[in-house]
Amino acid sequence: MTRRYVQLDVFATRPGAGNPLAVVLDAQGLDDAAMQAIARWTRLPETTFVFPAASDDASYRIRMFSPRREVPFAGHPSVGTAHAVLDAGMAVPRDGKLIQDGIAGKLPLRVIGEGSERTIAVRTPRARVQEIASPDDPRLQAALAGLRLGTLPPALMDGGRRWWLAELASEADLRNAAPDWAAISTLAEDTDSMGLFVYARSEDPVHYLAVRAFVGAPAQFEDAASGAANATLAAWLADQLALPSGDGFYRVSQGREVGFDAIIELQVDAEGDVWSGGRAVTVVEGAMDWPG
Amino acid sequence: MPNRRYVQLDVFAPRPGTGNALGVVLDSDGMDTAAMQALAAWLNLSETTFFLPPDAGADYRIRIFTPGSELPFAGHPSVGAAWAAIVHGLATPHDGRLVQQCEVGLLPVQVEGEVNAPRIAVRSPHARKLGAVTAPLPAGLADIAQSGQTALWNNGPSWWLIEVASPELLRNFQPDFAAIAAWTNATAATGVAIFAHESASGHDLAVRAFCPGDAVGVPEDPVTGSANALIAASLHAQGRLPHEDGCYIASQGRELGRDGVVAVRVDEQCHVWIGGQVQQIIQGQLDW
Repeated sequence: MTRRYVQLDVFATRPGAGNPLAVVLDAQGLDDAAMQAIARWTRLPETTFVFPAASDDASYRIRMFSPRREVPFAGHPSVGTAHAVLDAGMAVPRDGKLIQDGIAGKLPLRVIGEGSERTIAVRTPRARVQEIASPDDPRLQAALAGLRLGTLPPALMDGGRRWWLAELASEADLRNAAPDWAAISTLAEDTDSMGLFVYARSEDPVHYLAVRAFVGAPAQFEDAASGAANATLAAWLADQLALPSGDGFYRVSQGREVGFDAIIELQVDAEGDVWSGGRAVTVVEGAMDWPG
Repeated sequence: MPNRRYVQLDVFAPRPGTGNALGVVLDSDGMDTAAMQALAAWLNLSETTFFLPPDAGADYRIRIFTPGSELPFAGHPSVGAAWAAIVHGLATPHDGRLVQQCEVGLLPVQVEGEVNAPRIAVRSPHARKLGAVTAPLPAGLADIAQSGQTALWNNGPSWWLIEVASPELLRNFQPDFAAIAAWTNATAATGVAIFAHESASGHDLAVRAFCPGDAVGVPEDPVTGSANALIAASLHAQGRLPHEDGCYIASQGRELGRDGVVAVRVDEQCHVWIGGQVQQIIQGQLDW
């Protein structure tokens, strides 16, 4: 059977800048084993499968698979799939929202703008300030050594996963930062956190903030586009009355230091909820032949 | 940006999903080396091939990229590219033959069957034995290797070939990827291919290929053209090919949830031909 298939670059404004995603738009008839086999075969971080909605209060049903297993929920596949569904005309936003029905439940997606300017965002779990620390805190000293810090104090945020946030004095300081992986891994282990998430105000006309996400051991890598970690930063900035724009909407640049150039869009709404998302670029558009 | 014709194939695959995926950009005009490398990295397939206008003497020209580097030649991309060239009208076989131009030079391709479902065999570059093993094998491999049979062979890439006494030992083998990476790095090898005779089930040989080292960085490859060609060359050199006519079938990839089938032939001139079925899974347009 022939199914509509797209491959997108999420959090990107040009091909190759963001996080790749495969979307099978007509997934009817594919069972769990077939979906897992397709996700293994595409070799992308995630492949999603779109089914017709099972009830009136959902726009469509979605399943998400990594090459190894089913993923209950993830931000970048949700954002990319919604772009693909709208491009294909398979759903229409109501009051600027789509409702995605997945195995983690029904979830609203906010749709802003149209065409290449269109942004789609997911509402993220409420993040809490776990702890505000002094830059001299002995647990942080090694990981922050050599970094010129900004005005806000370091903070440990909990948005499901825990991250240490640290403001740097300028975007140049951020771009040139050389992570001390041993110190970051020790910090992550000692404080049961993912690692260190640094941010700086930017003079760039497109993005208000630049960020870098250093994930400690055992993974130990710099993440190219962190939807959830950026959401905890938005909650922290809102808590400190330090959001970079008056209307609560701002853009973040991430990933240039690891060969990407992602733009993530954040919005803190009137209720204090954080929406995290961005644009997507369609790279491959066509049909997939897979039995089932 | 131009829209380019793009297909994603499953090579050495009797059914969709059983082989090794290959990205094929049918219109590569205007893409420079950096753009090809960036797309191959983004697609993250084991190989992506790009069609370019051929020089005189060739029917089509391809360049082959892994996510990390360009390859002068590889078997599974060549089989898939030849299939795509015929099915998508970029080349027409003459008397069942095509000449493929790739970075290593001109290579003959044999074509049988219909234009919409051709059966392809690609002649593998010359194989030579670089040497036998001198140091002890890494842990795990030493336990399953038949003594005296381990050697390093090259046909572009260099593979350690290890014969295993039984297909059960091969199928159940749990590789120590760190040990294999260290050994292949130290010996400048692409990887390790293990094989066993298995005549009961529609094929003659069972094969697995491990390339976790710096050269490739893939723990286990689903279906591997170059390693299968070298196994054929080594068996031929020992007079131990499964059948007198030089043709046999290898099975690879079941341990990864695949079920690849490689058709191997050693001809009268001792050339090794690698072929198999190709399934077209994705057909569309690429915007890059």
